[in-house]
Formats: sequence, structure tokens, C-alpha cells
Amino acid sequence: MSELINELPPASVQAQLLQVAEAQSVPAWMSSLRLAGAREWRAAAWPDRRTELWKYTPLAALRNRQFQHASLSQPAWSATQALNVDAIRLVFVNGVFDASASSPGHAAVVRFSDADAQQQALIARHLGHVATTTRHLFASLSNALVADGVLVHVAPDTALDKPVHIVHVAVPQAEPVVVSPRLLVVLEAQAELELIEQFVSDTQEQNGFVNSLTEIHCGAGAQLRHYRINLEQEHMLHVGGVHVDLWRDAHYRGFTLAEGSALKRIDYQINHQAAGASAALDGIYLPRNRQLLDYHTNVEHKAPHCTTSETFRGIVADDARAVFNGRIHIHPQAQKTLAELNNRTLLTSDRAQIDTKPELEIYADDVKCAHGATVSQLDPTAQFYLRSRGLSAIQARSMLSFGFINELLQAIEQPAVREHLHAHLQGLFAEALPGTVTNP
Amino acid sequence: MSEQVESLIRKDYSAGFHTQIESDTLRPGLDEEVVRFISAKKEEPEWLLEWRLKAFRAWQEMEEPTWAHVSYPLVDFQALSYYSAPRSMANKPKSLDEVDPELLATYAKLGIPLHEQEALAGVAVDAVFDSVSVVTTYRAKLEEAGVIFCPISEAVHRFPELVKKYLGSVVPQKDNFYAALNSAVFSDGSFVYIPKEVRCPMELSTYFRINEVKTGQFERTLIVADEGSHVSYLEGCTAPMRDENQLHAAVVELVALDDAQIKYSTVQNWYPGDKEGKGGIYNFVTKRGLCHRNARISWTQVETGSAITWKYPSCILKGDNSVGEFYSVALTNNLQQADTGTKMIHIGKNTRSTIVAKGISAGRSQSAYRGLVRINAGAEGARNYTQCDSLLIGDRCGAHTFPYIESRNASAVIEHEATTSKVSDDQLFLCQQRGLDAEKAVSMIVNGFCREVFKELPMEFAVEAGKLLEVSLEGSVG
Repeated sequence: MSELINELPPASVQAQLLQVAEAQSVPAWMSSLRLAGAREWRAAAWPDRRTELWKYTPLAALRNRQFQHASLSQPAWSATQALNVDAIRLVFVNGVFDASASSPGHAAVVRFSDADAQQQALIARHLGHVATTTRHLFASLSNALVADGVLVHVAPDTALDKPVHIVHVAVPQAEPVVVSPRLLVVLEAQAELELIEQFVSDTQEQNGFVNSLTEIHCGAGAQLRHYRINLEQEHMLHVGGVHVDLWRDAHYRGFTLAEGSALKRIDYQINHQAAGASAALDGIYLPRNRQLLDYHTNVEHKAPHCTTSETFRGIVADDARAVFNGRIHIHPQAQKTLAELNNRTLLTSDRAQIDTKPELEIYADDVKCAHGATVSQLDPTAQFYLRSRGLSAIQARSMLSFGFINELLQAIEQPAVREHLHAHLQGLFAEALPGTVTNP
Repeated sequence: MSEQVESLIRKDYSAGFHTQIESDTLRPGLDEEVVRFISAKKEEPEWLLEWRLKAFRAWQEMEEPTWAHVSYPLVDFQALSYYSAPRSMANKPKSLDEVDPELLATYAKLGIPLHEQEALAGVAVDAVFDSVSVVTTYRAKLEEAGVIFCPISEAVHRFPELVKKYLGSVVPQKDNFYAALNSAVFSDGSFVYIPKEVRCPMELSTYFRINEVKTGQFERTLIVADEGSHVSYLEGCTAPMRDENQLHAAVVELVALDDAQIKYSTVQNWYPGDKEGKGGIYNFVTKRGLCHRNARISWTQVETGSAITWKYPSCILKGDNSVGEFYSVALTNNLQQADTGTKMIHIGKNTRSTIVAKGISAGRSQSAYRGLVRINAGAEGARNYTQCDSLLIGDRCGAHTFPYIESRNASAVIEHEATTSKVSDDQLFLCQQRGLDAEKAVSMIVNGFCREVFKELPMEFAVEAGKLLEVSLEGSVG
């Protein structure tokens, strides 16, 4: 791999990040994926303002930091933010497995490093095959740096009795580290799973970079409920991707929520590979202070009779910037498609910014597609109404902000996730409005 | 059902005749010499030549944009001729009676008999044939009102201060690849100036036609509406049928000073190429308007022609309370490709913009709406409403939407909605069951679909647009 790095100018971010691969120790069966990833990463043009997919999101934050491979020593952390749910839990601290915080294992959930020959074959078959790098550059970096990860494999006609909960904890280290969490979910035909991915950090100022990649294969008739909660401290850099392949009549129900950071970019790539598949994705983005948060979603309708419904709501406060791009691409053979995308954003400060672009690309005629986007502020009449009922201005704003996203929160099926977020957001809205006064 | 539609889409281009007129055409190729030649031919002042050369040098450094959702073989800019004029224009006609009868017959075939228009419609027409402005009708009456409406080449001599002040003020020479090209080689076009507090007594109109083989048309339109004035301007275009692709790279600049209103309507019917996609016009146009305080600019366009359309009429809402509007119907058939839309840049306070875009794709065509709504930080209380709908006829066409929304001000309210659907079998069945044939039924449904835009067009144009749509759609129903 070293000769691949040498071809890049040594100061470039690409070379810098690829350097990390040198320090890793990796099982031999992964080396081909790593090499292919490194090759692709090296060959890719570094995105700038003229790169459509990165038009509004500068990658400058990645520069000027000499990222290291996460050291193996176990840094200390406190699990204040982790979700309390009865689940099969795996906890990683800066990418390193923390056995003491994890719950006893389950045959369906295994780390790549513990995989037996059969599981290795399964991983080799799917890993790097669901994810495509054409619209997600950092997937090739993830391939280049893949060393460990988690495989969740649910056998045909099986449902796990507990959700799978994967927690990634970030803690600052003396030298900034790059962490590449990798998750592979393989649901066989008619399998069912509830999956919670959580990214947290302790409250110290972070200096690391997380490049996470989740690949999901939903076999025929499989059903997945997937929560991805991204609440790290605001100096953490995070580029993440979720790639989903849906086969015949498979159903994916996704929920994602994130706060911003110096650089946070999350890509969802959903592929309807066979007829009858359906996907529903709800998202909430809440950047504030000087944070940046970028959601890119892309749904490929490659087969007929598939449906997509996507709802994203965002509240952008202070000097924060939010970016949303929702693309739906209907291929010529994808007749009878129903697709809907809805994006609404509230700006609560004059310095807050939003760049949104819902895209439709349609090559089939017998389809019904719609998208909508709105940008506005809190309704002054609604605020007035609440104040006339005796609420303070701050309470009124907090209540209305909450109401704006509550619809999506209420739709969360997993009570533990719902309650956790409810409590967290209530705290967030109260804190975002300094000098809260009690009701007179 | 769809076979009927198919058979209906097929219909020949009725403006595809070629007029046998002797003309002076410059050798193909583009270099500084050509720019100097054009400038000299028009006896332009030194500053304009410098202005052109500056644009030409900038153009040489620029690259053709590739971001639009269209694909076509690249244009060989050295194979084109940048100037062509009907020979009889060498000694300019003073009135209509002196104009080459062949030329006039051409316009009559296109449905704009100049004489008749002068008498009946009361529309003042400036007709541009290849590179030169042929005749401007109704001039006397306009001058009475103080309105200036003349070819831009003439305005350069008669009103140099006005031209110098506003030319390139909205679309600078280096704005984009095609605007730079146009700035370097623009041949003619219309110039309009409406004085303060004047309501232009009639609709103004320009008719463009590309006649000569292997020429590009690069006209430049500049409309200045002084404070409190009002003008409505119509533009129409056709070209003969050719196997080669022809280039049309125009620039339109509108300046609406305080309290002024400009309404700009286009019916674009350039030759779209044949059923196999051979030939047709490449329509790469830059249109932009600048609104000062309380001003209003309204773009209405019906785009049915051209092999490739690349066109984004825009409004810069600089003054407080200014209003920008964009109403568009873009119809593509056979192998046509259109990437069109608008930009609304909100700078002033309480600025408002409305966008209604209707795309109709038939045959194997691709049509895309690409729009930008940008609210700058100072645009307190800005408001935008966007609606773009696509209608698909046939299962081999495509319809795409790329709306960019950039908001920098919390008090702004922006709404965007888009839908895509097809002419449903149920709708067709219902109409046919009531005794309409399939073609009529589709035409009626399409007309209904476009109604919001057509009602913005001046009356004569609305009728023409409806007919044009019908003709362009013929053979697309089945």
C-alpha cells in the first residue's frame, strides 16, 4: 500500500488519511478490499466548491490535522449519553471494542475479527458490495481502512427477540485519531431486525474524525427498523454513510437524527433492487452555534412497484449551516413507482443558513412522484397565541420548535429511543434559549 | 392507447423552409480578426470594439459548461460563421416598402406579416434575420411617446451614452461561456428604452430567424425601463430545417429602474431536429433582469423548439419590494433536450418571487427544470413560491427537477413543490368517451396543464402558444 500513498503529494489530506492504513494490523482475507479502496481513494479528485456533491460543504476542517490510527490502549470514558435499552449491545471506544460495557454476545452478531470461516465468506460476499463509491467518496476511504467491524446476520424467517444496539463512543486523544466504524447487516429472506446505531462522545472537546459506513442487505421480504442517532460533541468531525439494498418486497424503515459539528456529513443511499420494495426514511437535523450539518440522500428506483417516502425536518439556530440534498432517481424500468420527499426547515436566527435541493430524476412515465421543500421561521401568530395563554416568549418558542419535529419523534416505534431523544431535545431547546424564565 | 399517442407526436416542423436570399457570410472561424471585422462592419466606436475584445479574450480562457442535464457533441466554434447578412441590406431600407420582398415573404410564411401587424395588431416588430435587424415597424408612433425601439447596432450610434451605461451591466462579458462568446461577436438585436413615467403605447416584439447554413446567431437585447415606466415585450424565433446543428447564443438584459415594470414573453420555436435527432438548434441563452426599488420583471416563456435548450431567465431583486416572476412551459419531443429554469436572487427587503414551471416530455426527450432561489442575508421578509410540474407522455422520455434553495435570512419564507405524473389512461378515456379523439384529448389535457402559464401571455401570443403546443405534440399520443 505504501507505493499508493507515495504517488500523492505528501501534504494532501488524501495521503494523510491513507497513511493510517500502514499502522493497522489486518487479517489477510480483507486485503483485497483494502487495496481496491486505497486505489479508488487515491485516484479520486479531491472535492471542492465546484464538486456538485460537496458544493456547500467544505472539507477544510480535515486539513491541518495529522490523523493517527487509534491506539489500542483503552481510553477512559463515561457512558452518560448511551441509550438505556434492553438489547444486544456492542460498545466501541474510538473504534476499539469495549467488552466490559457490552452485553453478552449473540450468535447473530459477531465482530469481523471473531468471524468463523462461514461468516468470513458471508462478509467477503457483501462487504463493499452494497456500498457504492460513485456518490460517496468516503466509502472508498472506509474500504481502504477496514480492519474490524460488526456483522449482523439474521437467518431466514427469523426475528431477533432484542434489538441490536451498537454504540460508538468518541474520546479525545493526545493525537487526533481517525476511526472507521464499519457495520454490515445481512437479513436473509423474511428476516426481521431492529437496529440502533448510536454515535456519542464525552463532553470534552473532541479532535477526532469518524468515517462510518453501514451496509445493509435486505433479502426478499426482510424487514428492518433502523435508528441512527448522531449526537457527538461539536468539534468531532464525522462523515458517515448508510447504504441499503432492498430486494423483493423488503421493507426498510429508517430514522436518523443529528446535531451538527465542525464537519458533519451523512449520506443515505437506498437502492430498490427488486419489485415491491419499500423504504421510509425520517430525518431530523438540528445544527446550532457555528456547526455544519449536511444530509445527502439518494434513492435509486431500479425496479417496478416500489415506494419511497422521505421526510426531513430541520431547525437551524445561531450561526449554523444546514445542507440537505434529497435525490430520487427513477430508472426506465421502474414503472408504477410511488415516491415522495418532503423537507421543511426552520431558521431561528438571522445568521442561520440552509441550502436545500430536492431532486427528481425520472425516466419512467407511469409513476407518481412529488417533492416539496419549505424554509421559514416560527409562525409569529402561533407565538402570540401561546403568549396570550400565559407562556413566556421562550417557552412558546421552545414548544413550537418541539412541535415542528414532534411528528417525526412520535412516529418512532422503539420507546427507549423515543424517550431518550425526547428528554435530550427538551434539554437542548431549553439550553438553546438562555435565561429561561419560569412562568409568572 | 400509447400507440395513438405515438402516432400523434409525429408532425413536421412548419417553419422549416429556407429562403433563397443572397447573403454576405463571413468565412468560418473565430479569432480577434473576426471580432474586429464585425465591429468594423457595423462602424462601431472604439470603446465597443475594446469591450468585445475584452469579452473575446475572456472567452478564450473559459470552458464550455457541462453541468446541465443534456448531452450533445461539442460545438466546433471554429467551424461556424459569425456574421451573415442578407445582401440587400447593404444599403439599408428606409421603410418597409424598400425591404427585399423575399424577406418579407419569409416573415409572412412565419405568420408575422409585418404590414398587417403594423395595421391590425398594433404590435411594433423588430425582425432579426440571421445577423442583422431587417426592419423595425411602427417606429414613428413609438417615437412620439418617447420610446426608443431600434436595432442595437443603430442605438450604438444614436444613443451611445445609454448603450454604454447599460450594456453588460446585468450580464457582464465574463458571466459565462456563452455570454462571453455573445459579447465578443454579437451582431445585432433590439434596444428598447422607455422614458420615465411612460407606459409603452403598444407591445414591442422581436422576431428572430436563422436562415443561412452553418451560421450562429448571436443577438443581444437590451431593455431599459426608466423610473415608473411599463413595457411588454414579445420575442419569437424560428429557423429552417437543416441537418447540421446550428448555434444560437443570445443575451438578453433587462433593467427595471425604480417602480418600472417589464414583461418579457418568449415563444421559442427554433428547429428542433428531425425524429432521429438530426439537426436542430442549440439554444444557449443568457437572460437576466435587474430590478431596482419597487420594480417588477416578469418572464414568460413557451419553449417548444431547439434540439438543446440551455436557458435560465433570471431576476436579480436588488431593490426593496421588487418582484420577480417566471412562468414557463417547456415541451420536448422526439430527441429534444431541455435544461431550463430560473434564478431568483433576493437582495432587497420584502422582495417577492413566483416561479411556475411546467415541463412536458414526449417521445424520447429529456426535460429538466433547474432553478435557484437565493435569499441573501439582507433580504428581510423575502418570499418565494415555486411550483414545478412535469407531465410525461410515453415511457421513453425523462423529466427531472433540480431546484437549489439557499436561504440566508430567517425571516424569509420559501416554498417549493414539484410533482411528476403522466397523462393518465383514465383522463384520456373520459375525454374519448365524451367524443374527443385521442389527439384532441391529449391536447386539451396539456392545455389545461399549462393554463397557469398561458394566462400570463399577451393574448395574441397565448393563441399562438396553444397552437404551437398542439403542433409540437402531434404524434405523441397513443
